[in-house]
Amino acid sequence: MRTDFASSVRLGRLALVGIAACSLATISAAAQETPALPKGPPGGPPGAGGPPPGFPMVKPLTEAQKLVASLPPPQLGVAGPPANLAPDAPQPSPDARDFQGGWNHDTPLIFRMQYDKYGEPAPYNMAGAKVLQRRVLALNQGKPFLNASGICRPPGIQWQHDLNMKFRIFQNKNYVEFVFEEYHGRWYIQLDPNVAPPPTDKQYMGYSLGHWEGNTLVVETANMKQGVYLDVDGTPLSRNGKLITRIRKIDDGQSRPFLEMETTIVDPTYYTQPWSVVRRFGWNPGSFREYNCEEQIGDPAGGAEAGLVPEPQD
Amino acid sequence: MVRFIRLGVGAILVGAMLCPGSGGSAQVQSDHPAFEGVWKIVTSTTTLKLPDAVPFTAKGRNEYAANKKMKARGNYDDYDITTSRCSSPGVPRLMLTPMRFKIWARLGYVTFDFEWNRAIRQIDLHATRQPDVMGDDLVPTMTGDSRGHWEGDTLVATTTNLSERTLLDDLLPHSVDMKVTERLRLTDPNTLENRITIDDPAYYTKPWDAVITYKRQPDAIFPEDICLDRIQAHQPAFPTS
Repeated sequence: MRTDFASSVRLGRLALVGIAACSLATISAAAQETPALPKGPPGGPPGAGGPPPGFPMVKPLTEAQKLVASLPPPQLGVAGPPANLAPDAPQPSPDARDFQGGWNHDTPLIFRMQYDKYGEPAPYNMAGAKVLQRRVLALNQGKPFLNASGICRPPGIQWQHDLNMKFRIFQNKNYVEFVFEEYHGRWYIQLDPNVAPPPTDKQYMGYSLGHWEGNTLVVETANMKQGVYLDVDGTPLSRNGKLITRIRKIDDGQSRPFLEMETTIVDPTYYTQPWSVVRRFGWNPGSFREYNCEEQIGDPAGGAEAGLVPEPQD
Repeated sequence: MVRFIRLGVGAILVGAMLCPGSGGSAQVQSDHPAFEGVWKIVTSTTTLKLPDAVPFTAKGRNEYAANKKMKARGNYDDYDITTSRCSSPGVPRLMLTPMRFKIWARLGYVTFDFEWNRAIRQIDLHATRQPDVMGDDLVPTMTGDSRGHWEGDTLVATTTNLSERTLLDDLLPHSVDMKVTERLRLTDPNTLENRITIDDPAYYTKPWDAVITYKRQPDAIFPEDICLDRIQAHQPAFPTS
Protein backbone atom coordinates (compact mmCIF):
# COMPACT_ATOMS: atom_id res chain seq x y z
CA MET A 1 0.00 0.00 0.00
CA ARG A 2 1.32 3.41 -0.86
CA THR A 3 0.22 6.18 1.41
CA ASP A 4 1.19 9.76 1.97
CA PHE A 5 1.19 10.46 5.65
CA ALA A 6 3.29 13.56 5.36
CA SER A 7 4.36 13.71 8.96
CA SER A 8 5.39 10.08 9.20
CA VAL A 9 7.02 10.22 5.80
CA ARG A 10 8.86 13.32 6.85
CA LEU A 11 10.05 11.59 10.01
CA GLY A 12 11.10 8.65 7.90
CA ARG A 13 12.96 10.97 5.62
CA LEU A 14 14.69 12.63 8.54
CA ALA A 15 15.65 9.18 9.74
CA LEU A 16 17.09 8.42 6.32
CA VAL A 17 18.99 11.68 6.40
CA GLY A 18 20.34 10.69 9.81
CA ILE A 19 21.36 7.27 8.57
CA ALA A 20 22.98 8.87 5.56
CA ALA A 21 24.87 11.31 7.73
CA CYS A 22 26.16 8.45 9.92
CA SER A 23 27.15 6.48 6.85
CA LEU A 24 28.92 9.43 5.31
CA ALA A 25 30.78 10.02 8.56
CA THR A 26 31.84 6.38 8.62
CA ILE A 27 32.94 6.46 4.99
CA SER A 28 34.75 9.75 5.52
CA ALA A 29 36.67 8.32 8.48
CA ALA A 30 37.51 5.16 6.54
CA ALA A 31 38.61 7.22 3.57
CA GLN A 32 41.19 8.98 5.71
CA GLU A 33 42.74 5.64 6.67
CA THR A 34 42.87 4.05 3.24
CA PRO A 35 44.26 5.08 -0.13
CA ALA A 36 42.05 7.34 -2.22
CA LEU A 37 39.54 5.43 -4.30
CA PRO A 38 40.11 5.55 -8.03
CA LYS A 39 37.94 7.94 -9.94
CA GLY A 40 35.06 6.38 -11.74
CA PRO A 41 31.51 5.41 -11.19
CA PRO A 42 30.30 5.27 -7.61
CA GLY A 43 30.27 2.05 -5.67
CA GLY A 44 27.81 -0.76 -5.79
CA PRO A 45 27.73 -3.93 -7.82
CA PRO A 46 30.08 -3.82 -10.81
CA GLY A 47 28.41 -2.05 -13.69
CA ALA A 48 25.37 -1.05 -11.66
CA GLY A 49 26.38 2.54 -10.94
CA GLY A 50 24.78 4.62 -8.23
CA PRO A 51 25.28 4.28 -4.51
CA PRO A 52 25.63 0.94 -2.75
CA PRO A 53 22.41 -0.94 -2.05
CA GLY A 54 20.61 0.51 0.93
CA PHE A 55 22.57 3.71 0.80
CA PRO A 56 20.02 6.51 0.75
CA MET A 57 20.15 9.26 -1.84
CA VAL A 58 20.09 12.71 -0.30
CA LYS A 59 19.83 15.49 -2.79
CA PRO A 60 20.77 18.96 -1.71
CA LEU A 61 17.87 21.39 -1.70
CA THR A 62 17.65 23.85 -4.55
CA GLU A 63 17.35 27.54 -3.77
CA ALA A 64 13.63 27.29 -4.50
CA GLN A 65 13.23 24.33 -2.17
CA LYS A 66 15.18 26.16 0.52
CA LEU A 67 12.75 29.04 0.21
CA VAL A 68 9.79 26.67 0.60
CA ALA A 69 11.46 24.95 3.56
CA SER A 70 11.95 28.31 5.26
CA LEU A 71 8.22 29.08 5.35
CA PRO A 72 6.21 28.84 8.56
CA PRO A 73 5.02 25.25 8.93
CA PRO A 74 1.50 24.32 7.84
CA GLN A 75 -1.33 23.45 10.13
CA LEU A 76 -1.43 19.75 10.91
CA GLY A 77 -4.49 17.78 9.94
CA VAL A 78 -6.00 15.37 12.40
CA ALA A 79 -8.00 12.22 11.99
CA GLY A 80 -11.35 11.87 13.67
CA PRO A 81 -13.10 9.01 15.40
CA PRO A 82 -14.23 6.02 13.39
CA ALA A 83 -17.87 5.60 12.48
CA ASN A 84 -19.85 2.42 12.64
CA LEU A 85 -22.10 1.70 9.73
CA ALA A 86 -25.68 0.56 10.13
CA PRO A 87 -26.32 -3.18 9.70
CA ASP A 88 -27.97 -2.64 6.34
CA ALA A 89 -25.21 -0.41 5.00
CA PRO A 90 -24.35 -1.27 1.41
CA GLN A 91 -20.92 -2.63 0.65
CA PRO A 92 -18.62 -1.87 -2.28
CA SER A 93 -18.87 -4.00 -5.36
CA PRO A 94 -16.33 -6.84 -5.56
CA ASP A 95 -15.64 -5.75 -9.15
CA ALA A 96 -12.24 -4.04 -9.14
CA ARG A 97 -13.37 -1.68 -11.91
CA ASP A 98 -16.56 -0.68 -10.14
CA PHE A 99 -15.76 2.26 -7.84
CA GLN A 100 -19.38 3.14 -7.17
CA GLY A 101 -20.58 4.09 -3.74
CA GLY A 102 -19.60 6.50 -0.99
CA TRP A 103 -16.03 7.29 0.05
CA ASN A 104 -13.98 9.88 1.88
CA HIS A 105 -10.31 10.67 2.36
CA ASP A 106 -9.66 8.92 5.65
CA THR A 107 -6.16 10.02 6.58
CA PRO A 108 -5.33 13.45 8.00
CA LEU A 109 -5.73 16.36 5.63
CA ILE A 110 -2.49 17.69 4.20
CA PHE A 111 -2.79 21.47 4.48
CA ARG A 112 0.33 22.02 2.39
CA MET A 113 1.78 19.34 0.13
CA GLN A 114 5.46 19.93 0.81
CA TYR A 115 6.66 16.46 -0.03
CA ASP A 116 6.08 13.91 -2.73
CA LYS A 117 4.94 10.37 -2.12
CA TYR A 118 8.48 9.30 -1.25
CA GLY A 119 8.93 12.09 1.29
CA GLU A 120 11.18 14.11 -1.00
CA PRO A 121 10.68 17.87 -1.14
CA ALA A 122 8.34 19.00 -3.89
CA PRO A 123 10.42 20.05 -6.92
CA TYR A 124 9.55 23.74 -6.89
CA ASN A 125 11.18 26.12 -9.29
CA MET A 126 11.71 29.66 -8.04
CA ALA A 127 8.48 30.95 -9.61
CA GLY A 128 6.46 28.29 -7.82
CA ALA A 129 8.29 28.82 -4.53
CA LYS A 130 7.58 32.55 -4.66
CA VAL A 131 3.88 31.95 -5.31
CA LEU A 132 3.67 29.61 -2.33
CA GLN A 133 5.67 32.03 -0.17
CA ARG A 134 3.33 34.86 -1.09
CA ARG A 135 0.26 32.82 -0.23
CA VAL A 136 1.56 31.43 3.04
CA LEU A 137 2.72 34.82 4.27
CA ALA A 138 -0.58 36.45 3.29
CA LEU A 139 -2.46 33.74 5.12
CA ASN A 140 -0.33 34.10 8.23
CA GLN A 141 -0.80 37.86 8.16
CA GLY A 142 -4.57 37.40 8.16
CA LYS A 143 -4.94 38.72 4.61
CA PRO A 144 -5.53 35.56 2.57
CA PHE A 145 -5.87 35.83 -1.17
CA LEU A 146 -8.96 35.23 -3.20
CA ASN A 147 -9.20 31.61 -4.18
CA ALA A 148 -11.96 29.46 -5.57
CA SER A 149 -12.79 27.75 -2.31
CA GLY A 150 -13.12 31.02 -0.41
CA ILE A 151 -15.72 32.37 -2.81
CA CYS A 152 -17.75 29.19 -3.23
CA ARG A 153 -16.43 28.19 -6.63
CA PRO A 154 -15.21 24.69 -7.58
CA PRO A 155 -11.74 24.40 -6.03
CA GLY A 156 -10.28 21.84 -8.41
CA ILE A 157 -10.16 18.10 -8.19
CA GLN A 158 -7.21 17.71 -5.83
CA TRP A 159 -8.48 20.00 -3.06
CA GLN A 160 -11.98 18.67 -3.62
CA HIS A 161 -11.16 15.03 -2.95
CA ASP A 162 -8.44 15.74 -0.38
CA LEU A 163 -11.00 17.27 1.97
CA ASN A 164 -12.14 14.60 4.36
CA MET A 165 -15.72 15.00 3.22
CA LYS A 166 -17.88 12.42 1.59
CA PHE A 167 -18.25 11.89 -2.11
CA ARG A 168 -20.11 9.37 -4.19
CA ILE A 169 -19.01 7.78 -7.41
CA PHE A 170 -21.39 6.80 -10.18
CA GLN A 171 -20.31 5.03 -13.32
CA ASN A 172 -21.61 4.00 -16.69
CA LYS A 173 -19.84 2.91 -19.82
CA ASN A 174 -19.19 6.46 -20.98
CA TYR A 175 -18.07 8.26 -17.86
CA VAL A 176 -17.27 8.13 -14.17
CA GLU A 177 -18.87 10.87 -12.10
CA PHE A 178 -17.71 11.98 -8.68
CA VAL A 179 -20.39 13.87 -6.75
CA PHE A 180 -18.90 15.68 -3.77
CA GLU A 181 -20.66 16.79 -0.62
CA GLU A 182 -18.71 20.06 -0.54
CA TYR A 183 -18.86 22.94 -3.03
CA HIS A 184 -21.49 21.03 -5.05
CA GLY A 185 -18.41 19.49 -6.58
CA ARG A 186 -18.60 17.36 -9.71
CA TRP A 187 -15.74 15.57 -11.34
CA TYR A 188 -16.65 14.01 -14.64
CA ILE A 189 -14.15 11.60 -16.10
CA GLN A 190 -14.98 10.97 -19.69
CA LEU A 191 -14.02 7.50 -20.87
CA ASP A 192 -14.74 7.93 -24.55
CA PRO A 193 -13.91 11.34 -26.03
CA ASN A 194 -16.04 10.51 -29.05
CA VAL A 195 -19.23 10.42 -27.01
CA ALA A 196 -19.13 14.10 -26.12
CA PRO A 197 -16.61 16.75 -27.10
CA PRO A 198 -14.78 18.80 -24.49
CA PRO A 199 -16.85 21.75 -23.25
CA THR A 200 -16.52 24.88 -25.33
CA ASP A 201 -15.85 26.98 -22.24
CA LYS A 202 -13.07 26.18 -19.84
CA GLN A 203 -14.27 24.90 -16.48
CA TYR A 204 -12.97 25.40 -12.95
CA MET A 205 -12.56 21.63 -12.61
CA GLY A 206 -10.96 21.33 -16.03
CA TYR A 207 -11.60 18.56 -18.51
CA SER A 208 -10.80 14.99 -17.54
CA LEU A 209 -10.26 12.09 -19.86
CA GLY A 210 -9.72 8.61 -18.48
CA HIS A 211 -8.79 5.13 -19.64
CA TRP A 212 -8.23 1.80 -17.95
CA GLU A 213 -4.80 0.28 -17.48
CA GLY A 214 -5.69 -3.09 -16.02
CA ASN A 215 -7.89 -2.27 -13.04
CA THR A 216 -6.42 1.20 -12.62
CA LEU A 217 -8.32 4.17 -14.00
CA VAL A 218 -5.81 6.66 -15.36
CA VAL A 219 -7.18 10.17 -15.68
CA GLU A 220 -5.60 13.23 -17.21
CA THR A 221 -7.11 16.56 -16.17
CA ALA A 222 -6.18 19.82 -17.87
CA ASN A 223 -7.72 22.83 -19.58
CA MET A 224 -8.73 24.53 -16.35
CA LYS A 225 -10.40 27.92 -16.34
CA GLN A 226 -7.84 29.29 -13.91
CA GLY A 227 -4.92 28.19 -11.80
CA VAL A 228 -5.96 26.39 -8.64
CA TYR A 229 -4.83 25.90 -5.09
CA LEU A 230 -3.91 22.24 -4.73
CA ASP A 231 -4.49 22.51 -0.99
CA VAL A 232 -5.58 24.90 1.73
CA ASP A 233 -2.28 26.78 1.91
CA GLY A 234 -2.11 27.33 -1.83
CA THR A 235 0.35 24.86 -3.30
CA PRO A 236 0.06 26.14 -6.84
CA LEU A 237 -1.08 24.59 -10.09
CA SER A 238 -1.09 26.97 -13.02
CA ARG A 239 -3.90 27.06 -15.52
CA ASN A 240 -1.54 25.38 -17.99
CA GLY A 241 -0.71 22.55 -15.61
CA LYS A 242 -2.26 19.14 -15.62
CA LEU A 243 -2.96 16.39 -13.14
CA ILE A 244 -2.64 12.71 -13.86
CA THR A 245 -4.62 10.65 -11.38
CA ARG A 246 -4.31 6.89 -11.09
CA ILE A 247 -7.28 5.44 -9.23
CA ARG A 248 -7.63 1.86 -8.10
CA LYS A 249 -9.64 -0.09 -5.57
CA ILE A 250 -7.64 -2.20 -3.19
CA ASP A 251 -8.85 -4.89 -0.84
CA ASP A 252 -6.90 -4.79 2.38
CA GLY A 253 -7.56 -8.48 2.93
CA GLN A 254 -10.11 -7.86 5.67
CA SER A 255 -13.05 -7.07 3.42
CA ARG A 256 -12.45 -3.38 3.89
CA PRO A 257 -11.56 -2.14 0.43
CA PHE A 258 -10.33 1.36 -0.09
CA LEU A 259 -9.60 3.59 -3.02
CA GLU A 260 -6.12 4.78 -3.74
CA MET A 261 -5.52 7.87 -5.81
CA GLU A 262 -2.04 8.75 -6.90
CA THR A 263 -1.85 12.21 -8.40
CA THR A 264 1.04 13.34 -10.55
CA ILE A 265 1.40 17.09 -10.84
CA VAL A 266 2.77 18.18 -14.19
CA ASP A 267 3.33 21.91 -14.31
CA PRO A 268 6.58 23.35 -15.71
CA THR A 269 5.36 26.82 -14.76
CA TYR A 270 5.95 26.09 -11.08
CA TYR A 271 7.89 22.81 -10.81
CA THR A 272 11.13 21.49 -12.29
CA GLN A 273 9.69 18.04 -12.88
CA PRO A 274 6.47 16.06 -12.36
CA TRP A 275 5.87 14.88 -8.81
CA SER A 276 3.31 12.67 -7.17
CA VAL A 277 1.27 12.38 -4.01
CA VAL A 278 -0.95 9.52 -2.86
CA ARG A 279 -4.18 9.53 -0.92
CA ARG A 280 -6.37 6.81 0.57
CA PHE A 281 -10.17 6.83 0.67
CA GLY A 282 -12.31 4.63 2.87
CA TRP A 283 -15.83 3.35 2.32
CA ASN A 284 -18.45 5.75 3.61
CA PRO A 285 -21.89 5.17 2.11
CA GLY A 286 -23.79 7.58 4.37
CA SER A 287 -25.96 10.41 3.12
CA PHE A 288 -24.55 13.86 2.46
CA ARG A 289 -24.87 16.78 4.79
CA GLU A 290 -26.05 19.92 3.07
CA TYR A 291 -23.37 22.33 1.89
CA ASN A 292 -24.83 25.68 0.88
CA CYS A 293 -21.94 28.13 0.77
CA GLU A 294 -23.86 30.49 -1.54
CA GLU A 295 -26.04 31.53 1.35
CA GLN A 296 -22.99 33.04 3.06
CA ILE A 297 -20.95 34.16 0.07
CA GLY A 298 -23.91 35.73 -1.66
CA ASP A 299 -24.87 37.78 1.40
CA PRO A 300 -24.71 41.43 0.29
CA ALA A 301 -23.43 42.32 3.75
CA GLY A 302 -20.30 40.27 3.14
CA GLY A 303 -19.34 41.29 -0.37
CA ALA A 304 -18.70 39.06 -3.34
CA GLU A 305 -15.03 38.62 -2.40
CA ALA A 306 -15.76 37.56 1.17
CA GLY A 307 -13.07 39.83 2.57
CA LEU A 308 -10.33 38.11 0.61
CA VAL A 309 -7.55 40.07 -1.05
CA PRO A 310 -6.94 39.82 -4.80
CA GLU A 311 -3.68 38.00 -5.39
CA PRO A 312 -0.95 39.88 -7.27
CA GLN A 313 -0.37 38.46 -10.73
CA ASP A 314 3.05 37.18 -11.70
CA MET B 1 -12.67 33.56 4.78
CA VAL B 2 -9.85 31.14 4.24
CA ARG B 3 -9.18 31.24 7.96
CA PHE B 4 -12.82 30.42 8.52
CA ILE B 5 -12.61 27.58 6.05
CA ARG B 6 -9.42 26.31 7.65
CA LEU B 7 -11.11 26.26 11.02
CA GLY B 8 -14.12 24.60 9.47
CA VAL B 9 -11.99 22.01 7.77
CA GLY B 10 -10.17 21.33 11.00
CA ALA B 11 -13.42 20.89 12.84
CA ILE B 12 -14.95 18.72 10.20
CA LEU B 13 -11.96 16.42 10.28
CA VAL B 14 -13.54 14.99 13.39
CA GLY B 15 -15.70 13.09 10.96
CA ALA B 16 -12.91 11.95 8.76
CA MET B 17 -12.22 8.38 9.80
CA LEU B 18 -14.49 5.48 9.21
CA CYS B 19 -14.65 1.88 10.13
CA PRO B 20 -16.91 -0.12 7.88
CA GLY B 21 -19.10 -2.54 9.75
CA SER B 22 -20.12 -5.95 8.66
CA GLY B 23 -23.28 -6.93 6.93
CA GLY B 24 -25.14 -5.32 4.06
CA SER B 25 -24.91 -6.49 0.50
CA ALA B 26 -23.38 -5.35 -2.73
CA GLN B 27 -26.80 -4.69 -4.18
CA VAL B 28 -29.67 -3.03 -2.41
CA GLN B 29 -33.18 -4.25 -3.02
CA SER B 30 -34.49 -0.71 -3.12
CA ASP B 31 -32.43 0.22 -6.19
CA HIS B 32 -34.68 1.05 -9.10
CA PRO B 33 -32.81 1.46 -12.37
CA ALA B 34 -35.90 2.38 -14.40
CA PHE B 35 -35.86 5.84 -12.81
CA GLU B 36 -32.26 6.43 -13.70
CA GLY B 37 -31.35 8.78 -16.50
CA VAL B 38 -31.44 12.42 -17.41
CA TRP B 39 -34.70 14.32 -17.06
CA LYS B 40 -36.01 17.80 -17.78
CA ILE B 41 -39.19 19.56 -16.78
CA VAL B 42 -41.71 19.52 -19.64
CA THR B 43 -43.06 23.01 -19.13
CA SER B 44 -40.67 25.50 -17.65
CA THR B 45 -42.35 27.39 -14.84
CA THR B 46 -41.51 29.36 -11.75
CA THR B 47 -44.87 28.59 -10.17
CA LEU B 48 -45.64 25.40 -8.28
CA LYS B 49 -49.35 26.22 -8.25
CA LEU B 50 -51.38 29.31 -9.08
CA PRO B 51 -52.18 31.25 -5.91
CA ASP B 52 -55.93 31.17 -6.56
CA ALA B 53 -55.79 27.39 -6.19
CA VAL B 54 -53.79 27.42 -2.98
CA PRO B 55 -55.66 27.23 0.37
CA PHE B 56 -53.80 29.96 2.24
CA THR B 57 -54.25 30.63 5.91
CA ALA B 58 -54.33 34.32 6.78
CA LYS B 59 -50.65 34.14 7.69
CA GLY B 60 -49.83 32.41 4.44
CA ARG B 61 -51.78 34.92 2.35
CA ASN B 62 -50.15 37.88 4.08
CA GLU B 63 -46.65 36.53 3.57
CA TYR B 64 -47.39 35.69 -0.05
CA ALA B 65 -48.64 39.24 -0.62
CA ALA B 66 -45.55 40.66 1.04
CA ASN B 67 -43.33 38.53 -1.18
CA LYS B 68 -45.16 39.83 -4.26
CA LYS B 69 -44.48 43.40 -3.21
CA MET B 70 -40.82 42.74 -2.61
CA LYS B 71 -40.54 41.02 -5.97
CA ALA B 72 -42.12 44.02 -7.67
CA ARG B 73 -39.56 46.26 -6.00
CA GLY B 74 -36.71 43.92 -6.89
CA ASN B 75 -35.81 43.36 -3.23
CA TYR B 76 -35.05 39.72 -3.80
CA ASP B 77 -32.62 39.29 -0.96
CA ASP B 78 -35.38 40.18 1.51
CA TYR B 79 -37.44 37.11 0.66
CA ASP B 80 -35.77 34.92 -1.99
CA ILE B 81 -32.08 34.21 -1.44
CA THR B 82 -32.07 31.70 -4.26
CA THR B 83 -32.66 34.48 -6.75
CA SER B 84 -30.34 36.96 -5.04
CA ARG B 85 -27.53 34.65 -3.81
CA CYS B 86 -27.91 31.29 -5.59
CA SER B 87 -28.68 29.65 -2.26
CA SER B 88 -30.13 26.19 -2.72
CA PRO B 89 -33.80 26.39 -3.80
CA GLY B 90 -34.46 23.45 -1.52
CA VAL B 91 -37.34 21.00 -1.65
CA PRO B 92 -39.64 21.18 -3.55
CA ARG B 93 -38.43 24.20 -5.59
CA LEU B 94 -35.40 22.31 -6.91
CA MET B 95 -37.84 20.16 -8.82
CA LEU B 96 -38.87 23.26 -10.82
CA THR B 97 -35.39 24.15 -12.06
CA PRO B 98 -35.44 24.74 -15.82
CA MET B 99 -32.27 22.76 -16.51
CA ARG B 100 -31.76 19.02 -16.63
CA PHE B 101 -31.22 16.70 -13.70
CA LYS B 102 -29.90 13.20 -13.41
CA ILE B 103 -31.30 10.45 -11.21
CA TRP B 104 -29.04 7.79 -9.79
CA ALA B 105 -30.97 5.11 -7.89
CA ARG B 106 -28.16 3.05 -6.44
CA LEU B 107 -26.99 1.58 -3.16
CA GLY B 108 -30.02 2.62 -1.19
CA TYR B 109 -30.21 6.26 -2.22
CA VAL B 110 -32.04 8.10 -4.95
CA THR B 111 -29.70 10.93 -5.82
CA PHE B 112 -30.96 13.94 -7.77
CA ASP B 113 -27.96 15.39 -9.53
CA PHE B 114 -29.02 18.79 -10.87
CA GLU B 115 -27.39 20.61 -13.73
CA TRP B 116 -28.38 23.95 -12.18
CA ASN B 117 -25.50 25.07 -9.99
CA ARG B 118 -24.47 21.41 -9.47
CA ALA B 119 -27.19 21.15 -6.82
CA ILE B 120 -27.82 17.85 -5.11
CA ARG B 121 -30.53 16.15 -3.08
CA GLN B 122 -30.75 12.62 -1.81
CA ILE B 123 -33.63 10.42 -0.78
CA ASP B 124 -32.55 7.79 1.71
CA LEU B 125 -34.24 4.45 1.18
CA HIS B 126 -32.51 2.56 3.95
CA ALA B 127 -34.59 1.07 6.71
CA THR B 128 -32.23 2.71 9.18
CA ARG B 129 -30.37 5.92 8.63
CA GLN B 130 -26.63 5.50 8.29
CA PRO B 131 -25.06 7.07 11.37
CA ASP B 132 -23.01 10.20 10.86
CA VAL B 133 -20.12 10.82 13.24
CA MET B 134 -20.93 14.51 12.97
CA GLY B 135 -24.33 13.81 14.52
CA ASP B 136 -27.78 14.43 13.15
CA ASP B 137 -28.75 17.72 11.59
CA LEU B 138 -30.28 19.88 14.29
CA VAL B 139 -30.72 22.93 12.09
CA PRO B 140 -33.27 22.68 9.29
CA THR B 141 -31.71 22.70 5.85
CA MET B 142 -32.80 23.72 2.38
CA THR B 143 -33.20 20.14 1.19
CA GLY B 144 -34.25 18.78 4.58
CA ASP B 145 -34.33 15.14 5.49
CA SER B 146 -35.82 12.98 2.74
CA ARG B 147 -36.76 9.37 3.44
CA GLY B 148 -38.34 7.18 0.81
CA HIS B 149 -39.78 3.79 0.01
CA TRP B 150 -41.26 2.06 -2.96
CA GLU B 151 -44.98 1.39 -3.25
CA GLY B 152 -45.01 -0.82 -6.31
CA ASP B 153 -43.42 1.26 -9.04
CA THR B 154 -43.99 4.54 -7.21
CA LEU B 155 -41.29 6.14 -5.13
CA VAL B 156 -42.86 7.80 -2.12
CA ALA B 157 -40.58 10.33 -0.45
CA THR B 158 -41.31 12.38 2.63
CA THR B 159 -39.21 15.41 3.40
CA THR B 160 -39.15 17.28 6.70
CA ASN B 161 -36.74 19.51 8.62
CA LEU B 162 -36.91 22.12 5.86
CA SER B 163 -35.60 25.62 6.42
CA GLU B 164 -38.13 28.41 6.17
CA ARG B 165 -35.46 30.39 4.29
CA THR B 166 -36.60 28.71 1.10
CA LEU B 167 -39.80 29.20 -0.89
CA LEU B 168 -41.98 26.57 -2.52
CA ASP B 169 -41.53 28.41 -5.81
CA ASP B 170 -40.66 32.03 -6.56
CA LEU B 171 -43.31 33.38 -4.13
CA LEU B 172 -45.08 30.78 -2.00
CA PRO B 173 -43.90 30.72 1.61
CA HIS B 174 -43.78 27.86 4.07
CA SER B 175 -42.96 27.16 7.70
CA VAL B 176 -40.21 25.05 9.18
CA ASP B 177 -42.83 22.46 10.11
CA MET B 178 -43.82 21.75 6.53
CA LYS B 179 -43.96 18.16 5.31
CA VAL B 180 -43.49 17.53 1.60
CA THR B 181 -44.61 14.22 0.19
CA GLU B 182 -43.60 13.31 -3.33
CA ARG B 183 -44.96 10.40 -5.32
CA LEU B 184 -42.74 9.81 -8.31
CA ARG B 185 -43.69 7.31 -11.01
CA LEU B 186 -43.07 6.62 -14.66
CA THR B 187 -46.22 7.13 -16.68
CA ASP B 188 -44.29 5.72 -19.63
CA PRO B 189 -40.62 4.82 -19.98
CA ASN B 190 -39.74 8.38 -20.96
CA THR B 191 -42.10 10.37 -18.74
CA LEU B 192 -41.63 10.91 -15.04
CA GLU B 193 -44.43 12.34 -12.94
CA ASN B 194 -43.94 13.92 -9.55
CA ARG B 195 -47.06 14.52 -7.50
CA ILE B 196 -46.08 16.86 -4.70
CA THR B 197 -48.22 17.29 -1.59
CA ILE B 198 -47.63 20.28 0.66
CA ASP B 199 -48.75 19.86 4.24
CA ASP B 200 -48.11 23.00 6.28
CA PRO B 201 -50.98 24.02 8.58
CA ALA B 202 -49.35 27.31 9.53
CA TYR B 203 -49.57 28.60 5.97
CA TYR B 204 -52.17 26.40 4.27
CA THR B 205 -55.54 25.33 5.65
CA LYS B 206 -55.27 21.84 4.18
CA PRO B 207 -52.75 19.74 2.26
CA TRP B 208 -52.63 20.52 -1.44
CA ASP B 209 -51.08 18.93 -4.51
CA ALA B 210 -49.16 19.98 -7.57
CA VAL B 211 -48.03 17.72 -10.40
CA ILE B 212 -44.83 18.24 -12.36
CA THR B 213 -43.86 16.19 -15.38
CA TYR B 214 -40.42 15.54 -16.79
CA LYS B 215 -39.27 14.05 -20.08
CA ARG B 216 -36.30 11.77 -20.45
CA GLN B 217 -33.26 13.32 -22.13
CA PRO B 218 -30.17 11.76 -23.69
CA ASP B 219 -27.50 10.81 -21.18
CA ALA B 220 -24.98 13.61 -20.83
CA ILE B 221 -22.04 14.99 -18.98
CA PHE B 222 -23.39 18.28 -17.73
CA PRO B 223 -21.28 21.37 -18.36
CA GLU B 224 -20.15 23.06 -15.17
CA ASP B 225 -22.87 25.50 -14.11
CA ILE B 226 -21.88 28.27 -11.70
CA CYS B 227 -24.84 30.34 -10.54
CA LEU B 228 -22.65 32.85 -8.67
CA ASP B 229 -20.78 33.61 -11.88
CA ARG B 230 -24.12 34.49 -13.46
CA ILE B 231 -25.03 36.75 -10.57
CA GLN B 232 -21.61 38.41 -10.79
CA ALA B 233 -22.27 39.00 -14.50
CA HIS B 234 -25.66 40.55 -13.61
CA GLN B 235 -27.55 37.65 -15.13
CA PRO B 236 -30.49 35.86 -13.50
CA ALA B 237 -29.82 32.96 -11.15
CA PHE B 238 -31.92 30.72 -13.34
CA PRO B 239 -31.07 30.88 -17.04
CA THR B 240 -34.02 31.92 -19.12
CA SER B 241 -33.06 29.97 -22.22
